[in-house]
Amino acid sequence: MLIIKDLKVSVEEKEILQGINLEVKPGEVHAIMGPNGSGKSTLANVLAGREEYVATSGSVLYQGENLLEKEVDERAQAGIFLAFQYPVEIPGVSTANFLKSTVNAVRKAQGKEELNAVQMLRLMRDKIKMVGMDEKLLQRSLNEGFSGGEKKRSEMLQMALLEPRLAILDETDSGLDIDALRIVADAVNQLRSADRSFIIVTHYQRLLNYIVPDYVHVLYKGRIVKSGDKSLAMQLEEQGYDWIKEEADSVASL
Amino acid sequence: MSTIVQDRFAEAKMRFQALFEAQENRLNGQQGSALHQFRRKALGLLEEVSFPTRRDEEWKYTSINRLLQADYTVGESPRITEADIRPFLIPGLDCHLFVFVNGQLQESISHCGPFADGLSVKTIASALEEEGAEEVETILTEMLEGQKDAFKVLNAAFASNGLLIKASRNAAVKKPLYLLHLAAPGTNVPFNNHMNLTIAEPNSDLSVMEGYFQLPGSQGSYFHNQFSYIQAGENAHVHQYRLQKEGLEGFLVSNTEVEQDGNSTFTSFALDLGGRLVRNNLRTKLKAPGTTTNYWGTYFAKGEQHIDNHTFIDHAVPHCVSNELYKGIVTDKATGVFNGKVLVRKDAQKTNAFQQNSSLVLSEKAAMDTKPELEIFADDVRCSHGATIGQLDESAVFYLRSRGLPDADARAMLQHAFLGEVAENIKLEAVRSFTEQLVHSKFEE
Repeated sequence: MLIIKDLKVSVEEKEILQGINLEVKPGEVHAIMGPNGSGKSTLANVLAGREEYVATSGSVLYQGENLLEKEVDERAQAGIFLAFQYPVEIPGVSTANFLKSTVNAVRKAQGKEELNAVQMLRLMRDKIKMVGMDEKLLQRSLNEGFSGGEKKRSEMLQMALLEPRLAILDETDSGLDIDALRIVADAVNQLRSADRSFIIVTHYQRLLNYIVPDYVHVLYKGRIVKSGDKSLAMQLEEQGYDWIKEEADSVASL
Repeated sequence: MSTIVQDRFAEAKMRFQALFEAQENRLNGQQGSALHQFRRKALGLLEEVSFPTRRDEEWKYTSINRLLQADYTVGESPRITEADIRPFLIPGLDCHLFVFVNGQLQESISHCGPFADGLSVKTIASALEEEGAEEVETILTEMLEGQKDAFKVLNAAFASNGLLIKASRNAAVKKPLYLLHLAAPGTNVPFNNHMNLTIAEPNSDLSVMEGYFQLPGSQGSYFHNQFSYIQAGENAHVHQYRLQKEGLEGFLVSNTEVEQDGNSTFTSFALDLGGRLVRNNLRTKLKAPGTTTNYWGTYFAKGEQHIDNHTFIDHAVPHCVSNELYKGIVTDKATGVFNGKVLVRKDAQKTNAFQQNSSLVLSEKAAMDTKPELEIFADDVRCSHGATIGQLDESAVFYLRSRGLPDADARAMLQHAFLGEVAENIKLEAVRSFTEQLVHSKFEE
């Protein structure tokens, strides 16, 4: 699904990722953890195609193709979905209109027939129920004035509608209360399947109580310094990041 | 001897005078009519007024040189068919339709009347010959009195098909009027003038739509010079919609003068999409307390278009409310101008006046000049104004693209949304849809 090799990424000429290696196979859930400033969000954003993030070396293969050459919309059309840490508020664009446009843009790019109004309505009703969103939000401007929880529901609804192959959640759990956290976790768990992978970027172990990852990676100073299974996340919760930092720094100073 | 002052537009004036005389000679017998007397009087004023230059503060950003160079003709109005006007009809709207081609009313394809609900519409020419002509005479006389504006003088001299629209006391006029103006340039460069006098008597309710377009298939330049006078009586409600997608070689100058009596509401919605050079002046005088004035405007200029909106609200009395929102997009090498003046005079206490102008400038060579002018002489008022000029929010573009929308679609969606905020204020659903359709066609252009 996704093979990242020695990826180095700079933002405004400052190197943030200093050689990432990661392979995500179909159906796997990978959690990326790490202290603030370790480069977690950079990894999420460079995969989604944000232009300020410049890959200076290394490669990213997605379904056998060079992902870094693709435009952001082409990545989305190819099945990559980024759930934003801070979803953008867009006044004047109704949520319903936006969702219809994106679903059909992706279908069109994938050579599928566009959905008509009736099919679209049915699909939306279905997915809205799944994420437990208030249908009234559809008539409002996208994310405008949405509460934190509503914004996350809106992101999960988009994910459910676009049915990505690789979904990346960028600190989607930050600032959420336990109810909102469950919404995110439920949506991910319902969408987990043998051919769909997830990369879950999070600062807190809490979310991983609800979404059980196959792998946990710890990012520190732009490198993956430790990988393990879900027990690594538990260890981080109990002991914090300091022991990882010490371990990594002592290796670096050798 | 007086000194000779060089009038740089003397030649243009002479051409207009010659044009008037040529048309007069074709009038056969109507020369004695009251309207013609008025028009002659107006023409006489042409020598006394001057055309504005960029040295005039009010015309600082708009040069009319281009507009005064052409050799115009008047009165030639090709016959057109139902098919020609179909693109400009408002689907789902039952209205009194008046079709003007090159300023001449074409009755055969107009669907006006019978007028019910206390509405009456007649030509100014006939109103001047009938009983009660004094009312129109007064308006016309006042229009010319001390008139300094050359375009209004020209309009008064040349408008021969002007209309008097009247909603009688307590009349709730259900069916709106739609005055569709089509320009049909060709080998000639038409000079089209139209005058509307609208009187909404106390407690009446009236909607008037004005559409300005170019006849499909025609090509070339023309000049449309419009004048509208609107009187909103005590507690009357008047809605004016000005929707224009003139040809890209067309010139448009429009003047709308509004007077509001106590507790009346006047709402103007202006959509400006077309025209090589467009200048709209919208002015409202508040004569008694309790009025509401709404100015909603949308503009979108591409290519080498120049669209200038000048608005003025004169708060002369207390307890009045005015709301103004103009939003627009300029791109390519186009330029836009917004000048919104709000005067709150000393006696106009408890005035609430809000004004906002926001523009998107989407290319390096496009330009927008915006000038909010609030002059406040009263001390117990709530007034605010804001002006923003900016580009699209790139984080919003990225967000939309990250959901699979191609770049161009994402940008168009955001631009639609930006302009859409203004159209939300349109009460008539059919007009709102038609407006959106026109804006949509501008994106495709």
